[in-house]
Amino acid sequence: MNVTAVTLCMTDWLLLHYKLPTKPSALRVYTWRKLKRLGAVLLHDAVWVLPDLPRTAEQFQWLTAAIEEMGGNAFYWKANTVLGEQDESIIQQFNEQVDVIYSNLLKRIDKPRIDLQEISQQYQQAAAMDFFHSKLGNVLREKLLSKRGEIS
Amino acid sequence: MKWVTWENIGVDRMACGWLIRRWVDPNAEFSFIPRAEKVLPKNGEPFDIPGARYSHHGGHCTFYAIVRENKIEDPILARIAQIVDEADEIQEITVEPAALGLDLICRGIRQISNDDYGAMERGSLIYDALYAQLKLDSVK
Repeated sequence: MNVTAVTLCMTDWLLLHYKLPTKPSALRVYTWRKLKRLGAVLLHDAVWVLPDLPRTAEQFQWLTAAIEEMGGNAFYWKANTVLGEQDESIIQQFNEQVDVIYSNLLKRIDKPRIDLQEISQQYQQAAAMDFFHSKLGNVLREKLLSKRGEIS
Repeated sequence: MKWVTWENIGVDRMACGWLIRRWVDPNAEFSFIPRAEKVLPKNGEPFDIPGARYSHHGGHCTFYAIVRENKIEDPILARIAQIVDEADEIQEITVEPAALGLDLICRGIRQISNDDYGAMERGSLIYDALYAQLKLDSVK
């Protein structure tokens, strides 16, 4: 077994499952947007997942507190999959999430009169949720850096 | 007074410790308890612990709560509150590029410090520096 495979089998996950009052709907939108911004993945429309890192653990902790404060109820877990290969499929979902953004930006970057500033901001936002270091992210990063200072 | 928070402090709690000592309680003593202790500590003012008065509320960080609850009116502190909000809470709109760097540095400070007391001391230097520079920039 190579090193990557070992790390993949040992991913610790954070799970969040919550219920909010139906009204006002702003609470649900607020929570959903926060989860999207965090880069959490929604499994089977039921449970939000993040890899267990100091930063993500704290963010879920505050979100749990916020949900309770809004009159909702949240369960926040730490978990491991029992079947190791399931980790890979979850990791793949995380990668797909950022790869969509990266490939879209890569498509735009070679077009004439593009706004590099805007692309680099979107890159940074995606990179902040690129928990498993997608290769495409690195390609885009290098490409952005090579564009620096180009005149035409 | 005694102020209690969870151990392993980061960007928000370093900012809070600095704020408390400089603006709220010059004789503040800090103690650090293990994360996820079920009840809020009674012997001391808890901060940055879920459920406390001084905690995250309405999408704002604990630093913001302490400034607001103590009615401290200082535009530089309001600015630092915005930076800490962006560093420590998920924000849809961000306007402070310093936020992510500050978060990284504060995490690093905890890593290179022996304990939370040491990290709090070192963190204070960072926030003294941040305050001084923002103040300088604001009068220009």
